[in-house]
Amino acid sequence: MSEVVEHKALLTHEVGSLDKPGWRVKAYAGKPLDDKDVEEARSWGERLQVPEYERLIDLLRHAPFSKEQKAELQRWSSLYAVRLEESAGLDVVYDGEQQRTEMYDWAVSHTNGFERRGSVRAFDNKYYTKEAVVGPISLRSPFHNAEFSYLVSVAEAELKIPVTGAYTIADWSFDERNRTPENLLQPAAERARQRHAARRDFVLEVARNMIRPNLEALIALGARWIQVDEPGASTEPDELDLFVDSFNASVEGLDAMFSTHLCFSDYNLFFPAIERMEQCRQYAVGFANYDSRELGTTDAARPGYQVIKKFRDLPYKPALGLGVLDIHSDFIESPELVRDRVLYAVKVFGDPNRIHVTPDCGLRTRSWKVAYEKLRNMTAGVRLARRELGLPTGE
Amino acid sequence: MVAATRGIDRGRVGADAVERAFADDLAALVRVQKDAGMDFFSDGLLRWQDIFRPLTEALGAKPHTLVRWFDTNTFFREPELLGSLAKGRLDGVVADASVPRPRVTTLPSPYMFSRAAHADQDRNRLMVELAERVLRPAIDAAVAAGAELIHLEDPWLGYSGIAREDWAPLGEALQILHRDLKATLAFHVYFGDAAPHIDELLKLPVDALGVDLVQTDVKALGSDWNKGLVAGVINGRSSILESPKDLVDVAHHLADTVRPRGLYLSSNCELGYLPTVVAEQKVQRLGEAARKVKELVSV
Repeated sequence: MSEVVEHKALLTHEVGSLDKPGWRVKAYAGKPLDDKDVEEARSWGERLQVPEYERLIDLLRHAPFSKEQKAELQRWSSLYAVRLEESAGLDVVYDGEQQRTEMYDWAVSHTNGFERRGSVRAFDNKYYTKEAVVGPISLRSPFHNAEFSYLVSVAEAELKIPVTGAYTIADWSFDERNRTPENLLQPAAERARQRHAARRDFVLEVARNMIRPNLEALIALGARWIQVDEPGASTEPDELDLFVDSFNASVEGLDAMFSTHLCFSDYNLFFPAIERMEQCRQYAVGFANYDSRELGTTDAARPGYQVIKKFRDLPYKPALGLGVLDIHSDFIESPELVRDRVLYAVKVFGDPNRIHVTPDCGLRTRSWKVAYEKLRNMTAGVRLARRELGLPTGE
Repeated sequence: MVAATRGIDRGRVGADAVERAFADDLAALVRVQKDAGMDFFSDGLLRWQDIFRPLTEALGAKPHTLVRWFDTNTFFREPELLGSLAKGRLDGVVADASVPRPRVTTLPSPYMFSRAAHADQDRNRLMVELAERVLRPAIDAAVAAGAELIHLEDPWLGYSGIAREDWAPLGEALQILHRDLKATLAFHVYFGDAAPHIDELLKLPVDALGVDLVQTDVKALGSDWNKGLVAGVINGRSSILESPKDLVDVAHHLADTVRPRGLYLSSNCELGYLPTVVAEQKVQRLGEAARKVKELVSV
C-alpha cells in the first residue's frame, strides 16, 4: 500500500462482493442473452467510461462462448466492477468477487478434502452452498492468484484483496472426517468434549493448510492489503478464542497489512478475545444495519455504533472500517446520514486516522444501480465529514 | 425454489416460476414423508422465510433488523412489535391443501417469540398477548385444516435459558394455547441442554416435551414422565447420517427408562440447516427406525 493511503484519514473502501451483471451470469452459464443484457453492458460501460467497452458488446453478440471467451467475459465483469468502485470515488477497490462463484464456494471448490452437499438458507430467500470436509485439507493451487494479477493490471486506485478466513470456512462446512454419528446413549458431556476437540483440529487445519499458503502466494505476487473475511466469527460465542487462534495461525510472520471483516453479530462477544489479534490492523465491521436513519452525532442518535468504543480501546490500536451502508436494504443513505455516522465515530475515537469508511458488508444482494448510489453517497458523506473536521476534501 | 427465488429477486424470472417451484418442492417433500412412513405430515415451512415471518406479516408488523439465529449461519428478521398487537389474518400459516393429514404444524413458542421480537413492552406481558392474539388463532386455523400435532419450537430456552420468574407467565401463555385444544401440544426445547429445566418443563400445561438429545444427556431425563416425549434423535446440524439401529436403541432406552406417555421420534431441531438431499436421507432413516420400533413393540 502507498504511504498516502495507509495514513489517509477516513479512507473509503468496499468490503467484498458485488452482484454479478446479468450478461456475465447468463454467458457463463451458457444461457441465451437478450437485448436487455447487452444494453446493460452498454449503458454501464458508457456510464463508467470503461475503456473499449464496445469490444465487450461485440463479444456478447457472438454466443455461444468458448471457455476462453467465458474467461474473457469474467475479466470484463471484473473491469466493470473496479471501474464502478473507482467511479464512486473509493480510495481502495476490488472487483466484488466477479471472478469467484462466491466467498465460500470458490475457496472450498479449489481445495482438496471437501465434497459438495447442497444449498441451505442464509436469510430471507438467500441461500448458500455447503460442503463437507471428508479428508485431509490441502490447497490444490493458490486460488486468488489469477484474479489478483488481473486486478493489478487494471486498477487505477489502490487494491485490497479479500480472502475468506479459516473459522468461517470451517463453520460453514460440515465435518465428515469421522463419519460415525454420535451415540446418544453416551454421556452428553463426553460427546461435547469430543465435538469441541474435532472442531479445533478442523479450524486450525483450514488455517494452516488452506488459508496460509494462499496468503503467502498473494504476498509473493505483491499483495499489500489482505482482508480476512470472517462473517462467521462470532457464530459460536464459546469459540472466539479458536477464531483468534485461526487468524493468528493464518497470518503469523507474514509481511502484509491484514484486516478482518466481521458482520451481523453481537460485537460485544469479540472482547476480550480479539485483544490477542495484534496483526489485525483494521476491523471492517457492519453497524448501519443496527442504526437509526435519523441524523445526529450523539450517543442517542447513533444506537448502532455504541460498541465501537471497544474497538477504540484495543491495545494495538487498529483502524475501524466503519460500516455506514445497510447492505440488506435498497434504502439509499444520504450523504448527511453517512457524515453523521462518521463524525460520531471520529468523536468516539478522537482520531480520524483510525476511522475508515465502508459498507456494512459486501453489496452483492443489491443491484448495481443501488450499490452505485449507495457508494457514491458514502464518498459524498465522507467529503462532508472531512469538511466538518477541517481535513482535505480532495476537491 | 432456490434458483426461482434468486431469479425473482434479480428480476430474471416471474412470480409464476416461483409458484411452480414452490409447488414442485412441496410435492417432493410430501413424497419423501410418505415414503418414510411419517405419522404426521409437514409442509416444511417452505414458504416461511423465518419462523416468525408469516405471523409478523399477518399482524401487519414490520420485519425488522436481520439477526443471527442463535449459533447458526442463518438469520431472521426481528419482528417489530411495538404497542399493542393488532389482530391479523393468519391464512399464511395453514399448510397447503396438498399436504396429507394428519398434519404437524410448527410455530414459535410464545416464550421465544416474545424474546426474539423488537418490542417496547414487558416481555412476559407480550408473551401472553402473543399466545392469545396470534398463536392461539394460528393453532385453531391449523387444527381446522387437519393439524393433530402442534409443535412449538423453543431454541431460546435451550440456548439462553429462562429466569425463575418467567416460568409462571410461560405456563399462563401455554395454558391459553392448550385450553380445549383438539390436538397434541408439544413444547420443544433445543440448541441447548434441557437437563437443568426438566423439573419445571414437566409442570408446563402441554401434552409433550421435546428435548434435543444431541445436547442433553438421556440420563438427565429421569423417569415416569407425566407427558409425551418428542425425542430429538436426528441431528439437524450434522450431515452425518444416523444409523437406524442406533436410533432404535435410543428409542428403547427412552421407552424403558423415561416411560413417557407417548414417544415421538424426531430431529433435534429444524432440518433447514441441511441441504435437501441430506435432510431427505435423515427423514428416511427416522422413518425406518420408527417402523422397527413399532414392529418390536407390537410383537
